[in-house]
Order: sequence, then C-alpha cells, then structure tokens
Amino acid sequence: MTDSKSAAGDCFTKFIATKCIKQIGILGKETRPPPSTTGGPPTGTRRYLLGLSLGVSSTVLLHLLNENVEFQLAKGRNAPFDLTVVHVDTSPQPPSSSTTSHTQTAAETALAAYRARYPRFAFHCIPLSSSSSSTSTSTSTTTTSSTTTAAALLQGATTSAASRSDILRTLTRRALISAARAHTCQALLLGHSTTALAELTLAEAAKGRGFALPWLVHDGPAPAPAPAVGGGVGVGAGVGDGDVDRSSLGLRGNGDGEGEVGAGTGSLEDAGAGASANGGGEGSDVDDLTVLVYHPLRDALRKELVTYASLVSPPLTDLIPPDHPHKTKNGDAPPAAAVVSHKDLSIEEVMTRYFAEVEASYPSVVANVARTTGKLVRAGGTEGCALCGMPLDEDGDERWRGELGIQKETATSGVGGTGGRLCYGCERSTGA
Amino acid sequence: MRPALCVNCKTERALIKRPKNHEKLCKACFIAVFEDEVHHTITSSRLFSPGEKVAIGASGGKDSTVLASVLKTLNERHNYGLELVLLSIDEGIKGYRDDSLETVKRNAVQYEMPLKVVGYDELYGGEDQVVETIGKKGNCTYCGVFRRQALDRGAKMLGIKHVVTGHNADDVAETVLMNLLRGDLARLSRSTSIVTGDSRSEVKRSKPLKYSYEKEIVLYAHHKKLDYFSTECIYSPEAFRGSARGLIKQLERVRPTAILDIVRSGEDMARLVPGESKPSCACKGQAPGALASAEDDIGGCGSQNGRTPGNEMAAMDKRLRENEAHEGLEIDVAKAMSESKTGSERQRELPIRGGHGDSKPRQVLGNCKRCGYMSSQDICQACMLLEGLNKNRAQIQI
Repeated sequence: MTDSKSAAGDCFTKFIATKCIKQIGILGKETRPPPSTTGGPPTGTRRYLLGLSLGVSSTVLLHLLNENVEFQLAKGRNAPFDLTVVHVDTSPQPPSSSTTSHTQTAAETALAAYRARYPRFAFHCIPLSSSSSSTSTSTSTTTTSSTTTAAALLQGATTSAASRSDILRTLTRRALISAARAHTCQALLLGHSTTALAELTLAEAAKGRGFALPWLVHDGPAPAPAPAVGGGVGVGAGVGDGDVDRSSLGLRGNGDGEGEVGAGTGSLEDAGAGASANGGGEGSDVDDLTVLVYHPLRDALRKELVTYASLVSPPLTDLIPPDHPHKTKNGDAPPAAAVVSHKDLSIEEVMTRYFAEVEASYPSVVANVARTTGKLVRAGGTEGCALCGMPLDEDGDERWRGELGIQKETATSGVGGTGGRLCYGCERSTGA
Repeated sequence: MRPALCVNCKTERALIKRPKNHEKLCKACFIAVFEDEVHHTITSSRLFSPGEKVAIGASGGKDSTVLASVLKTLNERHNYGLELVLLSIDEGIKGYRDDSLETVKRNAVQYEMPLKVVGYDELYGGEDQVVETIGKKGNCTYCGVFRRQALDRGAKMLGIKHVVTGHNADDVAETVLMNLLRGDLARLSRSTSIVTGDSRSEVKRSKPLKYSYEKEIVLYAHHKKLDYFSTECIYSPEAFRGSARGLIKQLERVRPTAILDIVRSGEDMARLVPGESKPSCACKGQAPGALASAEDDIGGCGSQNGRTPGNEMAAMDKRLRENEAHEGLEIDVAKAMSESKTGSERQRELPIRGGHGDSKPRQVLGNCKRCGYMSSQDICQACMLLEGLNKNRAQIQI
C-alpha cells in the first residue's frame, strides 16, 4: 500500500518537474551566452533571479531548480545556471534606526530556513516599505532607492484595499526586475502557476490594464526601462505576480490607508524623483540590460503545486511561514474565509477565490484562460508608465479621456510631460 | 449632522451616490450628468448623422426604455436631427411578451415615437410550429440569435439602417470576462465595439449606453419616473455568462469603477488580437468604416437571458481535456520534415493548395445561402437553428 502510494507520488513529482524543466529548457535556449569573441566555445554561465514570495508556487519552483542543478552536477556537468533568490518583503518595516539588522524580521527568519535547505543559492531580502534608503540591507543601490519610492507611494495614495494591493504588486514586481538588472541576471523567474496566470489575466483586466496583459502574462523581455528624465531605472516592471502577490496580500489589514487619503499626485512626483535618482546612481550598462521574465510553472495548476509541495521529502510546506496566506497543511485549496466586508478585499483576492472554485471543477478552463491571453500581441510605444513600467497606450488613452466624466486630467496635471505619466490602471490605483 | 451637498451644484442636498464612482449628487445633477455622459459617448463615437432614421430596439425593459427616453431628450437638446422609431419584436407566444409589449406601446405614446412591432410569424413565414418552438425554447442561443436577426429584419422592413440597443456597461464587461474565460478572442474583439455590423451590411447596430452602469440606468429610470416593465428573466444564464456576471458583481463591490475598467481593458485587448486592428470609436479621425461583424454581437440581453443546460463550462472543460490528451499523440509532420531536410540537399517547397500557407483566412463576412442575411458562414446561425428545429419536429411527428 505504502509502496504503491509512494510510487504514485514519484510519478506525480516527475510529472510536475517535467513541466518545469521544459520551460527552463526554452529559457536556456533564449539565454544562450553569446559565442566568445575569440571564436572559442561560449563562455560564462546563465544567470537567473528567482522571485520568492515564500508561497507554495515559488517555493516549489525553487525546489525544482535546485533539483535540476543537482541532477546536472551529479552527471558531472556544469551547473546550468547561477541562481540568485530574492524575496521582496512587503510587510511594514519598523522605522529602522541607524544600526541595521538588530532585529530579524519575519521574512528574514523564514529565509533562514530556505538558506539552510538550499545552501547552493544566494538569498536576498529586499524590504519594500523601508522608509529609509540608507539603512536598507539590500545589496544594490538600485533596489534601495526604489524602496524609498515604495514607501512614499504606500503612505500616500492607497485609499482602498484594492488600490493598496495593486500598488504593492506593482512595486514588488518592479523591485524584482530592478534586482535582476542589478545582479546582471538574464532572466527573472516567477512562480506563477497556470491558475495564477489566469487570475492575473482577469485581475489586470478588471483593473483596466488589458493593454499591458501580454507584457505581464507572456514569457519574454520585460519592457525596457523608460527613457525618462535622468534615465530612470527601477521603472522597468509591471504589475502582478500572482505568487509574489501572496505576500502583498499578507499586508492587508495592517494599517488601513483610510487616514492617509489624498496626496495622490504628490506621491507620483516622488515616484519620478525616485526613478531618476536611480538613474544617477547606476551605470547605464545596467539600464540597457534586457531582462527576460519567465514563468516556468505556467503549465501546472496551483492545486498540483500544493500537492507537490506536500509530497517532497521533507515537505516544502515546512518551509513556508505559517502566517503565509497560501499556507496549506493538507494540500487542499486554501480555505476561503467568509467575506466580512468587500471594502477590505482586493481585486486579486476576488480572483483567487473565483479561480479556486473554477480550478476545482474545470481545470482546463483555467488553463485555457492563460493560453488565450498568450495569443494577444504586445503593443505600445517606447514610453512606459512611471509606476508599473508597462508601455503606455496612447490611442486608448486619447479615446477614453472624458469617457468617465471623472477623469479630469488627474495624473497628467501634476506630473505632466516629464516622463512621469501613468497608465490607466495605475492612475486608478493612485488617484481613486 | 448637516446633510451632504451635491458635489456638482453644491446647493442642493445630495440624494444619490453614483454607483459608478460614489460621487454624491442631487437628483437634477445626476440626471444631467447621466445624459451628458451618453451625449459624450454619442458624439465621441460619432454614432449618428443628422437626418438619420434610427430604430430603438425596445423590449419594454429598463435598458431600452431609458435608452428611448435619453435619446429623445438628447435629440431635442442637442439637435441631433434624428428620426427615432421604436422597434419591438413579438415572439408570438400568448402571455409570453404581452405585458412588456403593452409597456412599449405606452412608451410610444409617451415619447411620441412611431412603434413597429415585428412578429416572428412575419419573419419566418407560416411555420407556426417553428415560431412557437423558438418562443418556447427561450434560451440564450435562440433568444439571442433570433431576436438579433429579427431586429435587423424589422429595421429593413422600415427602411432603417441603424438599430440602437440598450446594452449597458455591465453587459459589455460581462461579455469581456466571459470571452476571456471561454478563450474566444475573436468575439472578445468584436463585442467591445460600440458599433457592430459591417459597412457592407445593410443594418448597423450600436449601443449608446455602453458606458452606462446598469445601476445608474435603474436610478435614472426611477428618478425620471419612467414607465418600464421590470421583470427578471426566469431562466438561468448560459454558464460562462452567469459565471462572469457573478464575478463582476463581486468586483463592483470591491471597486465600483471595475466595470468600466473591464470595458476599457476589453477595448484595448480588442486591438491586441492578431489580425484585428480597429478602434472601437471614431476618434482620431478614423472613419467608422471597419466595423465588427454584427452576428457576433454582444449576445445575451441584460437581465433577459434564456435557459440553457447550464453545463457549458463542464462541456468545454471536457473538450479541452480531450484536446490535451490527443495532443500527445500528434506529430508535427511539417516540422519533422523540415528538420530532416536540414542537410545539404534542400528540397523544393511544394506549393500548398490554397496558396495561403499555414495562415487560415479569418472569418469573412458574406451572406447566408438560404436567407441572404449577413453571415460569416455559408448558412447563418438562424437558419442552422431553424434546420435543427425542423429536424426535431419531423422526428416528433413520426
């Protein structure tokens, strides 16, 4: 009985691993190092950065990547890639005093367990809401200054749970892409499952970012950093990482933004300022680096990853911090708590609940959503949104203006014309 | 506590919290703002031309009643110069539409508009049983296809080339999410356009309330004391549509603007569908020539949807899973061949019959071979459905 059960488990873990390795293989071809100039064989290793939300999906991805490296090394080959793991800590940071790292944050504590289990990889923690750039423990100036922006934005404009969650997602993704550039990584790996990509598709559509969807859901290069004033870095990203988002959801309830209304445009200016400060700090060679964003688990459902996490020995669920929103003990879908107030829900949470149901009954419909979005073409000019970094949609904005009757030049008036323009979705989250 | 004042006029007491953005307005300002926004939609999309004859698809429900009222008001206020006609479809079943048709008849008097009621018997000839079956079927597919065609044909009888319908922002948003769930990009692209009907087709259709919230339409009808027939469809909607509808209601509660944001996303994504590149409005000087095909209009009909088996999601899930299973058995012969001939001797490419290579031509609008109605298939949807009905009837008679 136990034998057959473990055999079935073996089969299943292989099944999931194959799905992941297939995507890693595709990425490997995309990131093949250029042939050396002397005509010899290509030199240098692929460098990837993994965004770790401490949730199930990204933890599974980390485990699979580790397995892959071990497998190659056991065969006597070189490691197929160097991996840097970055966790963006979106929990509110205590105002840091001048001495750093005297108390360990919850995220640091959780990361310690990951470090112990996967000693091969380097782990970094970037605090997103650190209010002071000088005390940040992150490893690069780029990400450090983007955290200043983050703090300003989070304190400023987020009046509702929906907007707050949206901005956190945006900043998290932005920080990850900046980190990938800072570490000169060729690709950023995200743990999105098929389910997360379907959620992302509908959530971003519901937030008015339909235009940017192909940039968010496809595998491929991140939008180039906006050639804004001062050559801003740190704006080369977009919204929504279903997995990273899990951590941003954890912030919900910590300090309601109700008392901090207003100041929408003011904080946008901060965003522009933060971006240009970044540009000054880093060399332009980092700006020019193309970062591919890949979702190696795009073919696996979330429930499959949850099962996988419990089948691995020792179970990956031991690693995931207990307060993580997607922590599940028994492999079931995360228990959906009764909705107390819709005001406190984010759009992402609505989607997560919705797709948890659809996934249970109609898994192929979930997979089809992500596949369908994949058919849309990427469009947009060179100018990107000052907040999420996605290409701006000139035609759509022009046509839409005035359609609402409530959009009276909200964002453009404050920041106008200086490379600080926002996309429709970010205007919504910062202004509304 | 002092009562809040209207944010618009700042003199009257605010009575209405706008569902669209939670602005607090007084009654007069709400009505004015609602009408102004519809006016904006009409002008920015250049929906009408002076002297145009326009048929309002009237069901007696809230959407079409508000549409008729607003169009009459705006037509007089802004001198559109439109000749407005109410066009109603009678499914021909006793007790099925009597009450709502009575409402439409009263509306015709109230708004001083001519009314044309087109019966299914008029459109589909003397086949009584077929007519009866259509009425009784009462499901989304039959309801949608036949009523849509009936409106077009009724308009043609009146010599009118433009039909407006009461589809609102909720309907459009619902259709956007539904088509995302169904993975139907072609329909997603078409359903978001404000004007449908090819430039070649005889009747174009538009939805001036495309950006109006359902809740605001109800409020408008209430505060203008409009006479409409309020009934919810007793049938459950098609599964994907029902699922999308439930989702939209939740999203609206979390963020009221979400409905419009989805409409915006839908419009933007329509431009990202490969092979489809047309703006949904006539801004920036584009002639409203390239229009969406009418047969794939938004579908559904607000609150009046029809009965369906309710298992569409399950059916699609099954079909997709079967496809996945079969995928493993497929071999890409062309790829295998091209890989095998990478050697020095390259074979000459054989011409592929049809000349278009791998790109299958997109649906092209033509006319139905049976009834002549516009269709991208050889035989239009209505004729297909009629055929099915006739087959069933024959079996029953045996």
